[in-house]
Order: sequence, then structure tokens, then C-alpha cells
Amino acid sequence: MDVRDAGFQGNLDADQSESQISHLALDIGGSLIKLVYFSRNKDSPIDNNKDSKDSVIEGRLNFSNFETSKINDCLEFILSKKLHLGGFRCHEAPDGDKILIKATGGGAYKFADLIKEKLGVSIEKEEEMDCLVAGANFLLKAVHQEAFTYMDGRKEFVHIDHNDLYPYLLVNIGSGVSMIKVDGDGKFERISGTSVGGGTFWGLGRLLTNCKSFDELLELSHQGNNRVIDMLVGDIYGGLDYSKIGLSSTTIASSFGKAISDNRELEDYKPEDIARSLLRMISNNIGQISYLNALRFGLKRIFFGGFFIRSHAFTMDTISVAVNFWSKGEAKAMFLRHEGFLGALGAFMSYEKCGRDDSMAHQSVQRYPVCKPIVGDKICYPLNGDLNDNGSLECSVYAV
Amino acid sequence: MAPLTEDPNPVHDIDALLINQDPNNKTEENNNHPKDKSAVLLGREENSISKNQNQGGEREMASIHRSGSRPQLDLSKAAIQGNFEEKDPTILLPNQSDDISHLALDIGGSLIKLVYFSRHEGQPIDDKRKKTVKERLGISNGNRRSFPILGGRLHFVKFETTKINECLDFIYSKQLHHGGMDSRHWNAEAPANDSAVIKATGGGAYKFTDLFKERLGVSLDKEDEMNCLVAGANFLLKAIRHEAFTHMEGQKEFVQIDHNDLFPYLLVNIGSGVSMIKVDGDGKFQRVSGTNVGGGTYWGLGRLLTKCKSFDELLELSQRGDNRTIDMLVGDIYGGMDYSKIGLSASTIASSFGKAISDNKELEDYRPEDISLSLLRMISYNIGQIAYLNALRFGLKRIFFGGFFIRGHAYTMDTISFAVHFWSKGDAQAMFLRHEGFLGALGAFMSYEKHGLDDLMVHQLVERFPMGAPYTGGKIHGPPLGDLNEKASSKISWMEKFVLRGTEITAPVPMAPPPGTTGLGGFEVPSSKGGTLRSDASALNIGVLHLVPTLEVFPLLADPKTYEPNTIDLADHNELEYWFTVLSAHLPDLVDKAVASEGGTDDAKRRGDAFACAFSAHLARFMLFPIEKELSINVTTLAKRTTLTVGFIKFSHFYMNGSDTRLKLIEEPAAYGKLGLANLLELREECLREFQFHDAYRSIKQRENEASLAVLPDLLVELDSMSEETRLLTLIEGVLAANIFDWGSRACVELYHKGTIIEIYRMSRDKMQRPWRVDDFDLFKERMLGSREKKPQPHKRALLFVDNSGADIVLGMLPLARELLRRGTEVVLVANSLPALNDVTAMELPDIVAEAAKHCDILRRAAEAGGLLVDAMINPSDGSKENSSSVPLMVVENGCGSPCIDLRQVSSELAAAAKDADLIILEGMGRALHTNFNAWFKCDALKFCESRLQIFAFDTSYNIKNIGLQLAMVKNQRLAEKLIKGNIYDCVCRYEPANLL
Repeated sequence: MDVRDAGFQGNLDADQSESQISHLALDIGGSLIKLVYFSRNKDSPIDNNKDSKDSVIEGRLNFSNFETSKINDCLEFILSKKLHLGGFRCHEAPDGDKILIKATGGGAYKFADLIKEKLGVSIEKEEEMDCLVAGANFLLKAVHQEAFTYMDGRKEFVHIDHNDLYPYLLVNIGSGVSMIKVDGDGKFERISGTSVGGGTFWGLGRLLTNCKSFDELLELSHQGNNRVIDMLVGDIYGGLDYSKIGLSSTTIASSFGKAISDNRELEDYKPEDIARSLLRMISNNIGQISYLNALRFGLKRIFFGGFFIRSHAFTMDTISVAVNFWSKGEAKAMFLRHEGFLGALGAFMSYEKCGRDDSMAHQSVQRYPVCKPIVGDKICYPLNGDLNDNGSLECSVYAV
Repeated sequence: MAPLTEDPNPVHDIDALLINQDPNNKTEENNNHPKDKSAVLLGREENSISKNQNQGGEREMASIHRSGSRPQLDLSKAAIQGNFEEKDPTILLPNQSDDISHLALDIGGSLIKLVYFSRHEGQPIDDKRKKTVKERLGISNGNRRSFPILGGRLHFVKFETTKINECLDFIYSKQLHHGGMDSRHWNAEAPANDSAVIKATGGGAYKFTDLFKERLGVSLDKEDEMNCLVAGANFLLKAIRHEAFTHMEGQKEFVQIDHNDLFPYLLVNIGSGVSMIKVDGDGKFQRVSGTNVGGGTYWGLGRLLTKCKSFDELLELSQRGDNRTIDMLVGDIYGGMDYSKIGLSASTIASSFGKAISDNKELEDYRPEDISLSLLRMISYNIGQIAYLNALRFGLKRIFFGGFFIRGHAYTMDTISFAVHFWSKGDAQAMFLRHEGFLGALGAFMSYEKHGLDDLMVHQLVERFPMGAPYTGGKIHGPPLGDLNEKASSKISWMEKFVLRGTEITAPVPMAPPPGTTGLGGFEVPSSKGGTLRSDASALNIGVLHLVPTLEVFPLLADPKTYEPNTIDLADHNELEYWFTVLSAHLPDLVDKAVASEGGTDDAKRRGDAFACAFSAHLARFMLFPIEKELSINVTTLAKRTTLTVGFIKFSHFYMNGSDTRLKLIEEPAAYGKLGLANLLELREECLREFQFHDAYRSIKQRENEASLAVLPDLLVELDSMSEETRLLTLIEGVLAANIFDWGSRACVELYHKGTIIEIYRMSRDKMQRPWRVDDFDLFKERMLGSREKKPQPHKRALLFVDNSGADIVLGMLPLARELLRRGTEVVLVANSLPALNDVTAMELPDIVAEAAKHCDILRRAAEAGGLLVDAMINPSDGSKENSSSVPLMVVENGCGSPCIDLRQVSSELAAAAKDADLIILEGMGRALHTNFNAWFKCDALKFCESRLQIFAFDTSYNIKNIGLQLAMVKNQRLAEKLIKGNIYDCVCRYEPANLL
């Protein structure tokens, strides 16, 4: 990771918190704000003299997120950690605008003024798709055991040959869903998408269950039974399979199709069941549309990312089942451990563009990849669908 | 007639109908069922009575047999129909009409769809005139098949699955369950004691098997759901013209699909869930995809979120919604800027319900309207996208969307279309089916082995919109059906309910117009994309499909594929407005006449009001009334018609006052499929018949005929005194003169009585100064009379399409026919099968001809030869009469009951008669101008067929009788200008010899 000299070193003031912090990038989406920031390991002082030309800083990439509606909390967090000082200095700019922070997502436009006002830093907007793809490419190439399949509760890491990575379909499930065909670094096309995404889950879920947070809703869905609300093939066919067309009696024929019953009102349904039904509906739908698009362009791999998934086992399971069902087993859904942070990571990556020429920057990244994911400071890396996957990555920053 | 008890034994009636339907099978059948033979040979009235008497015993048994003591609606209905039956030659066994039917069910997760076939309109084949004509023309029905094709009606009804008991009651009350596979006639091998079997599809066919057995005593024969869907769709796409349409930005456009280029296509059936089926041919298909996000999701989520009590209520709500309050748009994320790089506009939905995550608002804080719309958009858009991706995958050009989710709802269709258009970048088009919800039920119906509909032709199906149609099609069982379950209600009280309900029904139609539209010039089609919603009164109408197997394409049409009967396209809003005005204005007078024709009884008055209400409701489907302020005033001033609904008052009042009220038109004609003027006029006639007004103009026609016949001898003497050439001209002038007057008006009726009709006629004839606006008389004369040295060969057979009763037929067309007969040309008078205004009908013509023949040898001999003078014939089928000295004068029915004629659907009689015809004469505005003005006829060189002679005058027209003459003249002037650059009262005599074509 290449870091601009002046900007980085200038932040190494004594009064910084225990971690040495540098570089903040934001992805301000419709529902969530994702932060990626680099913190230097305490015991890894900058060694400028090791090599006459380059220097390596050991440190961690940290990941945090906030609900967009609670942007003030997010700004507080940034202030408290002084993350905003981790942008890069633009020498040409007037004094007040000297620090620029990379950001992507729609909110990068919407909240630019607010951030300027509260943090006194300017937002440098990065293209959302660019960031998503850059983030995904980085993770798939640089991080060992980043991609995995998830079927029937079993997580299986997939080793991906860097030379056989492209083309792939990247499905980013944020508030809405974008489907991007990636042909190489910086070579991609948004080919499809759907408005039925994480925002739909959370929005409808809130209206139907009075849950107070996305995570609470996800948690609920874990305990629910969608058969109470969904109309299954078996409900229509009196328990018989409709095997002629390959539908088992437990296949959902109509999501929420049982809720049409006259006798039951919203209050009569358990929020758990509603959440479950909603999650299945949305996951299944995304899986199906993704598969159809992969098929259309002959893409072997489909990677699902974005904040909707949150390493939530059931979500991944449903998407996997959908892809498996529609592809008759030929395609597999794959997930990224840092799924929610693709955009933020991409924005983070874009700092390198501010430095030397791009090709050199890339080389540096690849030469010093982050090889080992480690447990973050506070939160365990969730393999079991834990809600906070705020794991950090140990990495080396290649300082010039 | 006393009320009849419902016949418990439908088999008996099938016998009777079979015999009546098919004369060719009569002998054998009669031998097998002597009891039925007697019934058939009796008159209709006697028939019913004798049946009643014969089956008295059975009836009592039946009432014991029935466990439920619920009296049947059919009892009284039969009685009422019996009263009117004598006026309608086509109803044979009214009290049994619906018993003889096929029923098929599609029991889905949310809705039960019924399709049933009633062989309702049995034609009395024992009519001697017809028999003779048939013999002469060599028509034989039923030879093509081993079993007779029966005419009848295909009905479409639906219920919510949760209200299955209502559905069972409906079936029971109509005795539809006896009409499944009737063992004795439809499946000879079936054991006699086997209970009826009804074809059913949909998941519920499994689930409710026991319930049907228990309640109705019938077994459900389960048909594969996909098979049914595909069979239903294939049937609709092949058998019904203009079944499929596209729907973009509020505009419906009907698509004519070439049957040879139909396959492969993608069929997307949106029921509770969604099935996507690739169809490669009849019975060849594969379910390629589907989604669980379908109609059930919309309704289920919608119920939870809005507390709506019905699917339709939810759909209705969506029309007033604004999804921007709930959906997160691209603009919301990007601060109002378009995210143009990836082709998304700021108004594109980025995340459905994405705004509902806001902390401050709870479910109660969102408008149900907005929620419903957001939900609708989410689901429709999603279905459109998945459907397109699947079509793409298999390289399918056409995507048809069907299933009950759509319900003709404009916004749903727009959203799906938009999705398909958006994702395909315009390459693919979503198409919809008018009978969208009934694919499965129809397919189940098709699975009856011997329904005789397999090779049905388009021309044999006529869609009609009976009184319930505006509601049954769009709503979950409308008012008429809902009342079926109530206790013994007579037909009349049922109609009163209909009238009452009419208020509710018409209420949603006049909605506030979108801002910015004023008056006629301000007509605009509001875009339904983005945030603006058009106020759409919603669903398409699904009529009853009448299967009339005897209908054929008129064989002399030059190109039936491109033939369009309507000269006037009601898609032209000016035309629509004009005809709407005309029909609305005429309505009160028509009601008066209709009521008078039934003796002006209270019953007739009630039915008259009900008719007015129903027809107004039909009209309302085309129109939108923006002026609510005036309405409230007018309602009170019109209070004299107290029994009428508000809906009707609205209609009648504005136009009766000649108010300059501006109409706001909406493009609802599409609700009825592609509708031309001919269809609109026929709709009115059908509506009249629906309310048991079988011939509103009966007495008027009778008076006019009598008065004209009284002066006919004088006219004939006058004509015979003329030279050949003068006579021909006078005859044509006479046709024009007789056609030009509207004899229905009071002034003219007065004149009839004073016996001065011949004077008016002559005066009028003298005014027919040549040259007429279109004047091919010389050409015609040359063909008829030839030049001095060369006498032309007479025409072999002339078809005369006649128009009005009275002077028109008696003093105009009959003398012309006589002239042709005198020249050795066979003459076939082509008249309406059913009454339409004061048009003469095929049933009335023999009497008129017989009366005229009393004074004219030419007519008498020709009529005898043609079998019209029944009384004079000892044996109508005696071959010796064939050697009569005269060429025959015959009468055939045209197969329709409208003032216009669609030559794609004419009676087999007429089609047979046309085969030897080499001269066609079309007379009157309805058949020569409003329809067929631009029609081209085929000329068979071998037969030396001369195409046609069109004679008509622009008159005040049958349909404008009661408007101020001013309006009529001006309006007709417009029409005259438009078509032939002429003026009112201009005459047209267009003649196109075969060699010119």
C-alpha cells in the first residue's frame, strides 16, 4: 500500500491514540456508512531507512459501519479517533481544504457539506462502481481465504487462481442491488440490478415488525419459520409434491401468500416468521436474478457482497440455494468475507492513485499483500453469522 | 305462465337441444327418444308447458332429494323468461338454459376461476322458411363431425378461494355441476350411475376434492396445471381476435398475431406465485422458470401493511399512491442528481421500501396508498425483469403475461412493460391477454374431450358484454353474481338490486381529471411513469364469449385478413365523443320505446331503468366526467326519473339539455378490446336483449310496414307504366328516398296513418336529383340494360342487404328486388337475425313479402319458388315446386343483431347463399357506410361476379332520432364531408363492376 509521504508522516503526532492511524475512506450508502481505515501497529514504527527508497509500515485495515440515519454517530466516531486527519494533503488546495478524504456511495454527494462542516475535511468522491470492483479485485487477489461458498450451514473457502479470476459477476447487495460483470482491473460493466435489496428487507421489516435495527431484524429471522406466512407448493397441492415441474412441496410458491387469510392480522403473526419470510423472499430473488445474468454472459463465478449479507448464515444459505436451484447445480454462489466493505475498500485503494503512477502503486500492493486475516482488536471474526464482522486485516503499507 | 320448477334432469334437455340443433341427426335421435320428439315438434311455448307437466313428478322428487331447502333462483328466472320467450325466437328452453353446460375450474391459492359453457341460444330449426332455404342452398350442418357442434356461450367468473362456499353456491344455483362430462351424450362409455366429473386445475383441485364431493356430489378430474395454462393461452391467442395487446405508458395497442408465427413464446402466468413457461406448440411446453414473488406476495404483504380487505381494494389504493415516500430512488441517494453513468435516472427506484428504514416513522405514518403502490411496483418490476431474462435466455421474441395478478390494471401492466422495455433496451415487448386470469380454467375446459372447440375458428366467436360484464370481469364476482346466493329472488328484484348497485359501480368511474387538462382540446394521455399516476378506472372487461358455430366468413370478401368492417374507428376521440353523445341522448327515448314495447308495465319500467343503468355503465367505461359541481344540481332537477341511479342521471341529463358540457375522454375503449362503431351499436342491442327487451321497435315497425304495404300496389302500378330505363332510375331513386327518412319519428308515423306516405315518398324521390354525390348509376344501368344492340346476361343471384322496416324495405328494396326477379335474377334478401332498432329482421320478412305478394304476381311466384309463402305450400320439400316458372326470392338471416354488419361473422346461410351470387347490394348507412364503406369484395371471374352496389343517402340516421336536428345535421355533415366530401342528404350510389376491381 503506498502512502504519500507528507500526508502520512505528518499525522504521527504524539497525542494520537494507541494505534497509529492513517488513511480513512468512506462508503456512504443509503442505509449504512462503511468506514475503512488503516492503523499502524504500535510496535511497528516507521522505518524510513531500512530501504533507501521504500518503507513498509505494519498495521491493520479496520472496518466499521454505522447506519446512515445515524451519521452523527459516525462523525463522532471519526472525530474521536481523529480519523479525518488520515486523508491526504493536497498541497495546491487552500489551507482549509488541505485534507481530502476519499468517499464513495450516494451519500458522498449528499453529506459532503455536513462532513465539511463537522470535520473540516473535504470529500473526494470516488465512483461507486469503480470502488466496488477495485475493492473486490483487491480482496480476491490479495486476501487469502476471502471467498467461500456456503451451503447447508457449511462454509467452504475457495481458492481462486489469480490468473483465472476474470470474468466474474459481482453482485453488490446494498440498499439496492447492483450486478457488475468484471473483466479485469478497472474493466467492468453494470449489467443489471434490482431494487429489491437490503433496503427492502430492512424497510419492509421495520414496517412489519417494529424492529429497531437491521441487525435485530436479521437476528429475528434466525428464529422464524416462514411456512406460517409463505404459501408453499405443498399448501396448494395439499401436501403433494408437484414433481412434474421439479418443485418439492416445501418450495415457496408465493412469498407471503398465506398472509391473505381473512382471519389473521399483522399482530397475529410472529415477527420472527415475518422476518424469515422476508429474508427468504429477497435472498431468493437476488440469487435468481444473479444466476440469470451470469448465465446470460457465460460467467462461471458469482460473488455476492454488500452489506445485506453481513455473513448472515441464513441469507447466504438462501442465496446459495437459489443459485443452485436455478442453475440446477451448475453455478455456485460465493461470498466475500469483507462483503460489506467493497466500496469503502475500493475508495481506500484509490488513495494510491494520488501518489505515483498507477502501475507502480499496484505492484507495491501486490508485492506486499496482506496474507493473514487476524482477529480484530475487539470483535471476533464471525464465522457463524455473528452480526459484527468488524474484523481488521493485518497489512503492510508500502510507504514511499 | 306459471313459474316453472327447475328441471332436475338436464339430460332430457340435452336431448331436446341436440335434436333442435342439428336437423340432420334428427331422425335417428328421434327414434331413440320418442318422448323428446313430441317436445320438439310442439311450439316453444307448448314445449315448455308440456315439459313442465311431464315432469311434475320428477320435480317433487327433486325437491325432496335436495337436502338444502334453499329455493333456486332459476325458478323465477324461468318464469320471467317464459313471459318474454314468445317474442324471442331464439330461446328454446329458457328455464334450462344454464343447466346444459360444461364447467371447468381453476382453483388457485387466492382465486377460483370458473369457465362454463351454456348452450343457451338454440335456434329453432323447425322454422319452415329456414328449412326451405337450407334445402335450396344445399346447407348441411354437422356433416363435418361425428357429433354436432353446439352453439352457446362461454362464461368467465371468479371467486376468492377463501370464499369457496360462495363459489359452490353459485355452481349449485346454476346447476353447473351437472354439466361436466355428461355420461349419456358426451361419453357414451361412462357408467350411467357415475356421478358427474368436473375438470379442474390449480392446486385447489387437489385440496378441495372432498369438499366438492360432499357439497355437490361431483368428482374433480384434475388436469395438469401447466397443460391447462398453455392450452388456455393457445386457445385465446388463436381463437380471439385482438386478444393480445401491449401496454406502454397508459396506451393499449392490440396486436394481431399471425397463427403461423405464434410459437415459440414465453408465457408468464402471475398467480399467487409466478410460472414462466416456454411454449413451442400445442401441448409442447416447458416450465423454464418462475418466482415466488407474485400476486400472493402483493396481496399478502399488502394485507399486512394496509389492512385492505380485498385484493381489488389494495389495487385500487395503489392508484392514488406515491411510491416516492417509501422507495429509495436513485435521486435520494445521489442527492437529486442522476446517476447517469450507469443509465439510471434520479427517479429510478434504487431500493424498494428503502425509505421505510427511517427511524421516525412507523407503519401508521405511511399512507396505505403509497405502500400499495410501492409494493405493486416492486413486484411488477421484478416479474418483468425475470421474465425478460428468461426470454433472452431462450431467444423468445414474445412474452405474454397472464394470470390474475394483472387484472387489466393499467399501472401493473405499465410497470411490467417498462421493466421488459428497460432491461431489453427496447428489444422485447411485454404483451398481455384480455382473459388473463382465466388461462388455467379455460385450459381445463379445453381438456373435455368432446367440447367441439378444438378447431374453432375466430369467426365463430363473438364476444358480448352483458350487464354484469363491466363488473364480473374486473371485480371478484360483481353484483349480479353476488345476489345469486340470496334467497328466492325473482329476476325483477335481482334487477332492482342491480340498479341499486349501479350507483356504487359507476361511482369510481368519474375521477378527478389530472391537472392541466381542459375541455376537448386538452385531451392528453397522462404518463404513468415516474411519479405521476393516471387516474385509471382499471380493469379490462371480459365479456361472455358466444360460440356460434354457424358463423362463417363472408365468402366474397376479397381479403378477410385485412378486412376491417368499421369505417369509423372509435380510437378517434372526436368520433368517440360524437357517438357517445348520440347514444347518450338517444337513451331515454330508447328506454321509453322499449318499455312501451313491453306494454309499459311496472316490470318493464324497472327493466328499462336497469337497462339504462347498465348501458350507461358501459358507456361510462369510455368516458370521464370532470364536472362534479354541475352534477349535483342536475341530479335534483332530474328527479322525475326517481328510480334511476345517480349514474344514469348524470348521463342523460347533460345531453338532454344540450348543455355545452365538455367531455373528458379517456382511452378506455380498449377495455372492450378493439372497439369500432359497429361493436358499440351492437353492444347496445345486446344490452337491451339482456334486459329482456327483445324488440323495442316491434310495434313501430309493424305500423310502418302496414302503412307502406297499403300503398305498395299503387307504386307498383306506377312503376310498371314506365319505360325500362326510367323504371330503373326511379327504382334506385326510390331506394334512396325510402332510406332517407327517419320513419321512426312521430311526424312520419302520423303521415303513415293519414295514408299520405306515398306522396311523401314520391316527393322525396323527385328530390333525388342527379348527379348524386357518388353517382355510378349509368354504369349500373349499362350493366343492367345493356346497349341497344347487346342485351346483357342477367345476374344469376343478387344479395340485397336490407335496412329499415317500413317504406325502406316495402317501397324501396322490394320493388328493386321485383325488378331483378323480373329479369331472371335470383334474389336473396339478407336481413338481421335479431332485431336492432327499426331494422327489418329475417323473421319478419316472410310476412312482409307474403303481404306484398298478394298484389303482385312476380313477387308471389318468386316467393313461392323461394319457399317464403309457407301457407300456400302443401309440401315445402316437394320437388315439383322447384320447377316453378319463376326464379326464387329468398330470405336469409345475416347472423347478427346490430344495425351494422361485420362480414367476418355472418350466418352459414348467408355464406352459402353468397356462393352463387354475382351482385351484392348494400343499402343504408349502417351496413354501407358505417361499416363496409371501404370493404372490397372478391370477384370470381368464372362466376362473373360483379362486386357491389351501395346505395344510401346521408340521412338523419336511426341513431340520432331524438337529438335536435341541428346537431344531427351538423354532425352528419361532418361525416359526409369526411368520407365523400359531401353534404347532408347527399346520395351515394356506388357501383363497382367486377372488372374494375
